Amino acid sequence: MSAPRPYNLVAELTYRCPLRCAYCSNPLGYAQVRDGLDAAAWTRAFAEAAELGVVHVGLTGGEPTLRADLREIVAGADAAGLYAHLVTAGTTLDAEGLATLRDAGLRSVQLSFQDSDPVSGDTIAGVAAHARKLAFAGAVRALDMPLVVNVVLHRRNLGRVAEIVALARELGATRLELANAQYHGWALANREALLPSREQLARAATEVERARRLPGGPEILFVLPDYFADRPKPCMGGWGRRTIVIAPDGRVLPCQAAAEIAGLEFGSLRERPLAWCWSEAPGMQRFRGEAWMPEPCRSCPERGRDFGGCRCQAFALAGDAAATDPACSLSPHHGLVVAARAAAEAAVAAAGDAPLRLRGGAAARPPEP
Amino acid sequence: MSAASGLEARLRRVLDERYHHRHPFNVRMHEGRLTPDELRTWVRNRYYYQTRIPIKDGLILAKSGDPSFRRRWVHRIHDHDGTAQQAGGLELWLRLAAAVGLDRAEVEGLGRVLPGVRDACDDYVRFVESHDLLTSVAASLTEIGAGEIMKTRIEAFERYYRWVEPEGLAYFLGRTRQAPADAAEGMAFALAHAKGPEDEERCVAALERKCEILWRLLDAVEAAHARPAVSSAAKLRGDPMGPGTLAVLPERAVRLNETGREVLALCDGRRSAEQIASALAARHADAAGVWSEVHGFLFEMARLGVVRAAPPS
Repeated sequence: MSAPRPYNLVAELTYRCPLRCAYCSNPLGYAQVRDGLDAAAWTRAFAEAAELGVVHVGLTGGEPTLRADLREIVAGADAAGLYAHLVTAGTTLDAEGLATLRDAGLRSVQLSFQDSDPVSGDTIAGVAAHARKLAFAGAVRALDMPLVVNVVLHRRNLGRVAEIVALARELGATRLELANAQYHGWALANREALLPSREQLARAATEVERARRLPGGPEILFVLPDYFADRPKPCMGGWGRRTIVIAPDGRVLPCQAAAEIAGLEFGSLRERPLAWCWSEAPGMQRFRGEAWMPEPCRSCPERGRDFGGCRCQAFALAGDAAATDPACSLSPHHGLVVAARAAAEAAVAAAGDAPLRLRGGAAARPPEP
Repeated sequence: MSAASGLEARLRRVLDERYHHRHPFNVRMHEGRLTPDELRTWVRNRYYYQTRIPIKDGLILAKSGDPSFRRRWVHRIHDHDGTAQQAGGLELWLRLAAAVGLDRAEVEGLGRVLPGVRDACDDYVRFVESHDLLTSVAASLTEIGAGEIMKTRIEAFERYYRWVEPEGLAYFLGRTRQAPADAAEGMAFALAHAKGPEDEERCVAALERKCEILWRLLDAVEAAHARPAVSSAAKLRGDPMGPGTLAVLPERAVRLNETGREVLALCDGRRSAEQIASALAARHADAAGVWSEVHGFLFEMARLGVVRAAPPS
């Protein structure tokens, strides 16, 4: 089938990162993936993406500011006419560095926080990061750039949604993304330690509703995590439909996690033009549209809304990327999700919060003072 | 009993934090910093809110099977609509309109109500329509703050807006007496009928929702006099693959048609939204509804972050 027009590009510039979040969306084997594209290659990719119809690029990672050539990369995105948006943890760039990027064409910044509470935030990040993030947020606002705050939610910070909203307001964020952890990669390895209870989620949802009624606040994004919803999420707005992801090594993917699915053949910018990787690569075509769908998706009236959910989740949980997303209550594999919820509840009841397995290492320990 | 007084404290805290006495427009009004035109826009638009109140109270009456409740509540409709003997709040508001120099018939005709104001007020009526008696009464508890704000307002008008004929203030004066009594009645009802935490949550949420509605009303009034400029966060660009212009923002892209582009071209940070809407209405005098559409469009563009509205200096 012909490929739809992509609007958005996720440019994973590197998987390197000083933070060690236990829910990192990078693959478990991130350390083996090298930064395979130089600034010239990224610049070419941006121009090709613009030709396909892309208007927006998120410069992300890992930590994109670890790239020494980030200024050139930003300039490349701007030259291609893309809206350049930096997704950062905010611990590695100072105000001067940010101003340099702004002058090169950077438009806006998404800054992650791990929690509103500094001690908890640093524990979740695995490094002392919170104070630096606050300073970086100040630098973004001082340049009058739009600031988006992103916080991944899980059982250890879900009780502080009101405080997180207050933090985002204080920082002058235009938008707050309260992203419930998605259980792939590192988050899946930490699922028992991260999965919240249904009661926690309900309380958090109430707090979000209260915050949305608060005048003058940031726009708040909050979606019930699919482990607790009856229906799967419209993952990436559909496989190979709206968003192109380019991994640090140049592979062109439909989402950040799809390379984990065994047996799919994706294109790489080191060998092929972006147009082929997006439109023709067998892996990209595999789950595009509806032809791949099994029952109950195939005849489901909601298939045009959720696109059958998440292929990576189907692969990770059910061992079959072509299965209905187990998060869907109509999936024959839905018992896996129900069991995971019960196991997390039981583990917490028996032994309290399980230790976090931080990205790249052993169990969590408090950060150095 | 302790649970009930806990609810009262929570409701009062909601008002302390979210009632529109904190809205920048009201703050400027009470500090004497509104221009005559801003004050007129407020009076004209707030009249639409006044017209919705008896409708809202009619809906509340229809939710109750208790004659004694209805007998007490119905006085609110009389307060607003008046009786054979006495002018009601709506009539007094129209006198205020005349006192600030507006054409009474024009205000009464509602033809120049801002779309953002209309939406907010209609949301309130719809909210009451679709919720039960307890929740609806809780939403009306913004009256708790009304007595105080009316007093502040009278003082501000007498001190800063002396060009307004004093007989125009009769509405405010009347409300300083009515609102505290209404508030006490509503609060007593909520405390007596909220049984348990779920009911209390509903009451708190309803009052928050109502505060949000009042806030939005003033947002719309304020935006009419703000001078919008295309935000530095928005990147306007053509789209070789589709019609119109794209306004790209950190998290979304908005597609604008030719008319939208025409409106944005006038957003230079010097003209007010009202000037832009009037200019375009004059330019397209053959088309109906242009003035309202432009105001609605600019309000939406500000919400999405495409334009940033600087309040008047």
